[in-house]
Amino acid sequence: MKKRGIGIGVSFYGTGYGNGFPDISRAKARLLPGGRIGIYCGVTEVGQGAKTAMIQIGAEILGLTEKDIDLIHEDTSLMPDSGTAAATRQTYNTGNAIKIACENLRSKLFEKAKVELGLNSTAGLVLDSGEVVLSIFPQKRISFKSLSEIYKDEIIEAEGEFVAQTTTMDPETGQGAPYWPYTFNACAVEVEVDTNTGIVNLLRATFAQDAGRAVNPHLLEGQMDGGFAMALGYALFEDLKLEKGVIKNNRFSKYLIPTAMDMIDVEKIIIEDPEMTAPYGAKGIGEPVIIPIAPAILNAIYNAIGIRITELPVTPENLMKAIREAGVNK
Amino acid sequence: MVDISLTVNDRLYEISIDENMRLIDVLRDELGLIGTKEGCGEGECGACTVIMDGEIVNSCLVMGFQANGSNIVTIEGLKKDGKLHPVQRAYIEAGAVQCGFCIPGMVLATKALLDKNPNPSDEEIREGISGNLCRCTGYNKMLVATKKAMVYMKGE
Amino acid sequence: MKLNMVGKNIIRVDAEAKVTGEALYPQDIYLDNMVYGKTVRSTKPHAYIKVDIREAEKVDGVLKVFTYKDVPNKNEHGVVLKDHEVFASRKAIRVGEPIAFIVAETVRACEEAYRKIRIDYEELPAVFDPIEAMKEDAPKIHGDSNIIYHYKLRRGDIEEGKKKSKYIVENVYKSPMVEHAFLQPEAGLAYVEEDGTVVVVIATQYPHYDREEVAINLGLPEEKVKIINTNVGGAFGAREDITAQIHLALAAMVLKRPVKVIYSREESFLAHSKRHPMIMKYKTGADENGYLQYMEAEIIGDAGAHCSWAMNVLRKAGVHATGPYVIPHVKVDSYAVYTNNPFTGAMRGFGATQVPIAHEQQMDALAEKLGMNPIEFRMKNIFRKGSITATGQVLVDSVPLDRCIEAVDKSFKFSQLWKEGK
Repeated sequence: MKKRGIGIGVSFYGTGYGNGFPDISRAKARLLPGGRIGIYCGVTEVGQGAKTAMIQIGAEILGLTEKDIDLIHEDTSLMPDSGTAAATRQTYNTGNAIKIACENLRSKLFEKAKVELGLNSTAGLVLDSGEVVLSIFPQKRISFKSLSEIYKDEIIEAEGEFVAQTTTMDPETGQGAPYWPYTFNACAVEVEVDTNTGIVNLLRATFAQDAGRAVNPHLLEGQMDGGFAMALGYALFEDLKLEKGVIKNNRFSKYLIPTAMDMIDVEKIIIEDPEMTAPYGAKGIGEPVIIPIAPAILNAIYNAIGIRITELPVTPENLMKAIREAGVNK
Repeated sequence: MVDISLTVNDRLYEISIDENMRLIDVLRDELGLIGTKEGCGEGECGACTVIMDGEIVNSCLVMGFQANGSNIVTIEGLKKDGKLHPVQRAYIEAGAVQCGFCIPGMVLATKALLDKNPNPSDEEIREGISGNLCRCTGYNKMLVATKKAMVYMKGE
Repeated sequence: MKLNMVGKNIIRVDAEAKVTGEALYPQDIYLDNMVYGKTVRSTKPHAYIKVDIREAEKVDGVLKVFTYKDVPNKNEHGVVLKDHEVFASRKAIRVGEPIAFIVAETVRACEEAYRKIRIDYEELPAVFDPIEAMKEDAPKIHGDSNIIYHYKLRRGDIEEGKKKSKYIVENVYKSPMVEHAFLQPEAGLAYVEEDGTVVVVIATQYPHYDREEVAINLGLPEEKVKIINTNVGGAFGAREDITAQIHLALAAMVLKRPVKVIYSREESFLAHSKRHPMIMKYKTGADENGYLQYMEAEIIGDAGAHCSWAMNVLRKAGVHATGPYVIPHVKVDSYAVYTNNPFTGAMRGFGATQVPIAHEQQMDALAEKLGMNPIEFRMKNIFRKGSITATGQVLVDSVPLDRCIEAVDKSFKFSQLWKEGK
């Protein structure tokens, strides 16, 4: 028999290394020949979109577009250490470091522009499309390109460092502020459970993710879809068949991850509530997006068939076993 | 060693290969077409997808000598005269790319789907790319991309 | 605040290179005069080993077979504890642990040498169940105890919480070991620059960490090691621990030739960490008005044979064990335990993906006892701005969980459907 059910899962997730461990991101921003800007930073693009998001933050500060910035992030001899691309820490931690580096570079560009424009002060200087402009008399302006030519024998560069704030927890009571900031989310799903085969089909999903502020909504949605798919595998398919320390399902023909046929369209809602210590309020979401899905599926299975599944994955085989056991216990 | 001739991306190659070489090895190691990726070596993930005589194949499952006389399109063959193929353009615009390792195969699978069926339903798109695994995107933006590409291809 | 770039759907700057096949991953890089590597790994979960490489080194085209004897400085690495050996020396502690690294002119010569490596295993009692592993008489993986870490969270008074709870739900939940299954199997190459700098080209989550480990193992100053991070074909936590970096750097440094390795999918499963399986015993109580009063949890995480991030993961599981709810009385004990299983480490969510399997089902079970809609019950108890977590942390800003739940409820029509279902 096919039975339908709905379920919800919610979660919080503390980002960063945590527990008082020094969590430091560093970046450098430099005026390059031709007026381009180089951002040097050990931020790793693992597919999550860090490269694009980091450039967006730098471009915002410097009044540029993504096309005007080179991110140098591949060679340890050229870039400062920005910590690991993990712990959902790049947008917040490294985003802050890049923001600070670019703000510091902006101050240096203002100082140079003041000299070249014959001004008494940097007050009222703004950046606009690759130029330093005096806002109250916009005829006074000089391009980054001109500055790079005038100062070609001098490196115009600034650093930025951000250190996240957490405290070490008490070893006996666990009291402390182990992570900051936290990211929140909620997801509801509807499933159809076939009690004859043990197959669980997802029918529908609505997923709301807090991002503080979304640096790039499309990238964020891509993370939500990807997290959802990974959670779907976690909940329903993925089984390593570990026997005496040996992984029996050690290839894709046996370890089944979701295909396009297994995935469903997910209604994605981005919730913004800027975090005061974050770059433009943006918090990380890379890990949180996997978390509430599997619990929502489990709660929906219970709603459908009245059996609480306490062990993952809910493969057809495992579900049939649970259904048989529940029948025996009744 | 065995002599084969094959056309790859409109160019004829006549080469001598080891008989144990798979098509993917010929493409990558002999012809330098490294856009074709190996993700599993058993035809499950689709990262090594190429189009062979109009059909998508897993190039890790085809032996090099079996490709003798065939016409092959790899990811490097889609961009023509500096212009991206509509499927490539659509993937970029739809945000369907993340880590990128599955993307060459996925783009070719999408192209092959649309060449045969210019108006696929959502279900047909999902089925059409179901031989290609992606761990990053959850596939939904690939559906968006495919629908965009449908429109672009009709406009051409 | 008017923003021009932040908040915009800027097209990924790396997208075009990826759709045209131009984006390079380590396996895509070929260098002149390059040779190939192959890793020999343990097939036993716990055994003394003796390795004979003599026949393998005689194979035509083989340049050298590296073992622990060839590591110039420390034969160890690890993100927290240095409990991985670069190559197992005396004892193998898991299936898949590296024992030797063959370097040859061709992949075929590597394969032939691989078949000629002789490893004598003297098998030892092994332990695969973390609960068994916690016992005093269990076989030990490292040192005197298999318990790596115990996190304790104490808030309020559990007995008081029980007294105030009209409804109590008790369950044991189990979450599985999970594979990251990124699409790009590990690959890398290393070479030596003219000034002696050892360069490792790899796809990694943290290049500066890799540099530190390689430098320590090779006995080089950090400025003589360079990591080039190429495009990374997915990571999800599995590219935090060292895999091929040290093997490649060592081989390139000794042989003075570029050395490349590509793992097969099966080897990739063996080479990197997995998600910690957890056993989670939960008791949760609520009063007659639907307010949570207490939660008690014991969480046991299987670290496998190496610590990797086990302490941090079990700490994170412990801190997140309550879920996003205000609970006045909380007691959590989480443990990280060594076994002879494949090692576990970072994977997306890092301990916080496991505990919601428990706490979210506990919430629904309590809501059912109270005759409440699961959303209504959650809304009474969730963190809001100013809430204090079980660790005593004040959530001062950006706590829009209520808005997340409300948005889902409204669009999904959850409460409406729930009401109709009753």
